[in-house]
Amino acid sequence: MKQISKELRKHALYLSHKCQDGNLQSVFSCLDIVWVLYDKIMNWSPETARDDNRDFFIISKGQATLALYPVLIEKGYFTMDEIAPEIGNFNSRYCIQTDLTKFDGGIENNAGSLGHGLPFATGIANANKIKKSSSNVYVLCGDGEFCEGTMWESCIFASAKKLDNLCVIIDDNNSVGAMVDMGDMKQKLETFNFDVRVVDGHDTEEIEKVFNQLKTMKNGKPKAVIAKTVRGFGSKTMTEHDIWFHKSPNAEELELLSKEVELA
Amino acid sequence: MRRAFLKRVADMIRNEADTTFFTVDIGMWAIRDVLAEFPDRCTNVGIYEDGMISIAAGMARRGLAPTIFGIQPYLIERTLEQIKMDLAYQKLGVNIVGTGAAVDYPKYGYSHYCAEDLHVIKAIPGCEFIAPGSAKQFIQLFNSTYRDGHPTFFRVSDHPNSKYDPDVEFNKAVVMQKGSKATVIAVSIMLDDVMEVCKNLDVTVLYYTTLEPFDRETLSKYYNDGKILIVEPQFEGSLTFDVIKTFEGKPVMVEEVAFPREIFRNYGTYEEKMQYYGLTKENIKLKLEKLIGAEYGCLQK
Repeated sequence: MKQISKELRKHALYLSHKCQDGNLQSVFSCLDIVWVLYDKIMNWSPETARDDNRDFFIISKGQATLALYPVLIEKGYFTMDEIAPEIGNFNSRYCIQTDLTKFDGGIENNAGSLGHGLPFATGIANANKIKKSSSNVYVLCGDGEFCEGTMWESCIFASAKKLDNLCVIIDDNNSVGAMVDMGDMKQKLETFNFDVRVVDGHDTEEIEKVFNQLKTMKNGKPKAVIAKTVRGFGSKTMTEHDIWFHKSPNAEELELLSKEVELA
Repeated sequence: MRRAFLKRVADMIRNEADTTFFTVDIGMWAIRDVLAEFPDRCTNVGIYEDGMISIAAGMARRGLAPTIFGIQPYLIERTLEQIKMDLAYQKLGVNIVGTGAAVDYPKYGYSHYCAEDLHVIKAIPGCEFIAPGSAKQFIQLFNSTYRDGHPTFFRVSDHPNSKYDPDVEFNKAVVMQKGSKATVIAVSIMLDDVMEVCKNLDVTVLYYTTLEPFDRETLSKYYNDGKILIVEPQFEGSLTFDVIKTFEGKPVMVEEVAFPREIFRNYGTYEEKMQYYGLTKENIKLKLEKLIGAEYGCLQK
């Protein structure tokens, strides 16, 4: 694992430890994707975070919102020193799932309940078309989240409106497999007229290559990336024990898990 | 009222480049020209109210002023969490205009009835709810709120007042007459009936078209021994909390002419329903007489 992937995971562990909450398995499965988007793909920087033509990153799988802070820390938008002492506290603006009304830039939506981020992102992408803005919209969804009806409603709209400025990322960590057989997601999305790519969601170079390729395809078709990921990736303990779906580390566990990540 | 709204939509789309209009497959004929001329901003999206609310929220996030048109129960009840999360929680302004007020589709059954709309929306802070009593009032209220940055719900009734049509302002009750024996809150399309009953009585009549927020300031000036009659074309109790909060610390005696809180399993005509549930001049008169004659602790049912 690259050093940056380790650093991001250690940040997430520390923040989860500090606020004593979080869904770390889900965070670890998508951290590499979020990092590549902010570091290599999106028209976004701390200096341009409020620009009208910036690219948008929307978290639809709200349980993984804790993946966003580590990335924004590494990009220099926030510092660990400002977030860690107060995350989750009564009057803090930093919580497990974000509240955009407490920020002027950096946070683009409120997440939490599933089936909201994708239609919201679709609306932003449609507005970008109306405004003739070059802004692209990236939205991170869970595979399980696609059980929600609004996800498919958004696909109808995105396809009908030819939103090729919208890129739907499915963090496919096989959550839905434990619930129902969703069949072939790639085929389903292609039926909705999406350009679809399947990538290894932990291979940052492959992710970058695919996003860059899709970004140039202004062909009237919305984009989708199905990222094959592993829940808890980067920590052996987390991948083997599903209790880490919703558990925060105590001091001892923080040390153990951080070491695991460092050695991964 | 519906025609006035759609005409306003056509003007808005033609003249204001940051406005959008999405209909959930109703009203297309009236705006067919703008649908054809401005397909990017004026669209019949198909039938999915849930997603539509969130998509409109996304457009509002980018500074546009979206308006959605559909049928009241689907716009409000089906979509409740989208309203809560994507509009209210994120403080984003979208106009949601619903036809099919209360029992305006009287033969369709419970799926199309929506007497509970205000009660439901009042559960989500930050939303505005407007129930105009005429086409003129719809335009006045729409024009003053459609860019105010709040989720704003408009109940479009097919049975507007025909005799009394005062000018209205957002969040401001109209004092129709002043009196001392009781205060009558006439809501939206109930104004004609209320005025017919009250015009020669010594009672105050306040006319409300903005129901959330509720103009407590005006009501607070007309305590009238706390005798308040609410005449509302919606579930009983939809405004009781507001009335009690208005007179906090003082006793109030509230009577209501309103739809009962039950599932309506009958059909027939609009008039039959209004008669059956007591939203009539006779019942207004009866409740008012009872209220005026009542003393605290012995209000007869």
